[in-house]
Amino acid sequence: MMFWEKSKPYIWAIGISFLAIGVLVWILGYSPLEAFKTLLFKPFSSKFQLTATTLKFIPLLLSTYAFSIPFILKNFNIGASGQMLVGGTVVAIVGLSFESHPISPWILVPLLLLVAAVSGGLFALIAGYLKVKFGVDVVISTIMLNFVGFYLASFVATTPPWKAPLTGHPMTKELPKWALLPTMGDLHIGIFIVIGIAVLVHYVMTKTVFGYEVEAIGHNPRASEIHGIHIDRIVLMTLFIGGAMAGLAGGIEVMGVHKRLLEGFNITSGADFGTFGSLTALMVEGNTIAIPIVAYLVAALLNGADSMQRTMMLPVELVFLIQAAMVLLIVSFRGKFKE
Amino acid sequence: MNALDEIVRSIVTYMPIYTLSGLGIVIGGRAGIFNISGEGAMMAAASAGYLSAVFMGNWYVGFLISMVMGALFGLLLEFLHEEMKVNQFIAGIALVIFGTGLSDFIYKLVVGIKFYIPDAPPTPEIRIMPDIPILSAFFNQNIVVYFTYISVIVAYYIMYKTRIGIEHRAVGEDPRAADVVGINVKLVRYLATIIGSAFIGAAGGYLPLVITGTYTPGIASGRGFIAVGIAIFASWRPERTFLGAILFATIEAIALQMQVSEIGVPYQFLLMLPFISLLLVMALFKGKIEHPSSLGKPYSRE
Repeated sequence: MMFWEKSKPYIWAIGISFLAIGVLVWILGYSPLEAFKTLLFKPFSSKFQLTATTLKFIPLLLSTYAFSIPFILKNFNIGASGQMLVGGTVVAIVGLSFESHPISPWILVPLLLLVAAVSGGLFALIAGYLKVKFGVDVVISTIMLNFVGFYLASFVATTPPWKAPLTGHPMTKELPKWALLPTMGDLHIGIFIVIGIAVLVHYVMTKTVFGYEVEAIGHNPRASEIHGIHIDRIVLMTLFIGGAMAGLAGGIEVMGVHKRLLEGFNITSGADFGTFGSLTALMVEGNTIAIPIVAYLVAALLNGADSMQRTMMLPVELVFLIQAAMVLLIVSFRGKFKE
Repeated sequence: MNALDEIVRSIVTYMPIYTLSGLGIVIGGRAGIFNISGEGAMMAAASAGYLSAVFMGNWYVGFLISMVMGALFGLLLEFLHEEMKVNQFIAGIALVIFGTGLSDFIYKLVVGIKFYIPDAPPTPEIRIMPDIPILSAFFNQNIVVYFTYISVIVAYYIMYKTRIGIEHRAVGEDPRAADVVGINVKLVRYLATIIGSAFIGAAGGYLPLVITGTYTPGIASGRGFIAVGIAIFASWRPERTFLGAILFATIEAIALQMQVSEIGVPYQFLLMLPFISLLLVMALFKGKIEHPSSLGKPYSRE
């Protein structure tokens, strides 16, 4: 009963947004049935499609955490995109510096992943510092920092010694083999990293003092201050962790998928992972078990939208409309059903 | 002299983007609505305005449609906030994505299949100044520049010299007190957000209709967010919004100029300038920035 009550807003929201999109697709002269079939079943239809979905899931899940962890303290980190770009950029610079120095991947790969996470975290800390020290809202600062991150990545991708010779699209040279994530078939080991992180996040948030403190401040900042929890420190920590998640996503994409830094590597199905991550986080509202599940479903939806554009010529942007509509409806209904 | 004249001209040409969008955010903010959906509204307005201008063959229709599109976003934002009790930031972020998706979606549906991308009809210009260098750059300009000057003056006048303006600001400062003295808080917030978003839409339409002549995906490229920064920087005052807009138009024009003249600084760092300067400005002017007291907060009678 409890579960049913809780899922009511979601069922309504998902139902209505799909209905609305179905009508839209139908008005535009396409077959809604075929669109939904492509959107919902195609991503699971073959091993190839499952891999494609999983590859989207890895950075998407990390971007979702990048938003949802600082969001517990009501800070809107919509800067996952910039943090991801910075993580990827720093990994490319460091990785390429080992180009002519073969070194065991057992050392270099973990080091690079750490570098990615730390650089993303530090980049997010700029927003944290501006918030704590100057009261600049995190929404505003992280948006601005997204552009800084974008141009930073673009600079590295178009400037020697990193730039790949003879390409039109801005990208760096390929990373040396010893800087790449090991793969199994088409999938890289990033999937194990994010599964580990999902378990860790769940454990920290539900079983540790730190998790308790963060939750407590989120629910009642004033009372927590009285009880001696230093809020500024926790704000900085959550932003650092959020940024580190996004930075790690950037590192994983560069080391596992593209094998180099390339402009736009943070974009999927027409928008950046940070954006999709924020929306996904808003849909689940901090439930650490639901986050990975919903993130996987959203990744499938994005993959389905790609197929839909390919096979039906329906613009992939349809998926933005679906997701934005779903988030708005879920958030609306959550408020409504609580009343 | 000529080069300077050229730069001033481009500053004045870029100015309406920031003034109109910043003004729109100020108008909403003064009623307590923190409208960060600007980027999405600008994109959707750009796409809708461009397409309707091209297909109707009429510049004015395009500009008007972009304002209408903006207004619809304002209506949606305020509806979500007021009736569905959605947090303003959440609604704003979702609308940014909605607008970004919508703009490319309609564009791809209508034009995407064609190889030939038509240009928008030319923008009407008004020339009322003799050719005095620099000064004429402010006045011998396209019609939207004049529209912008008038909008700032009218907004300033209404906000500070009329009863409507007092009520408008009262809602932003203290909705409960405003309610007690009989002001319809909800109505004021709806109107302010819708009118404000119409201005944001105008800024969006300005991009393809005047600046580039055609729509390209991602056309707003963060300007809708810069506008939020300008509104904050301006302490939510129309006349300071104009100054902030001139400042950011100058940064953009200079960055563009430096890019063309290849002065050795990588262009990416020049393009970062507006965003970094905004962060610096917000940090440096920390104590001097004032916000309407109820900004971002919902109001209900219970």
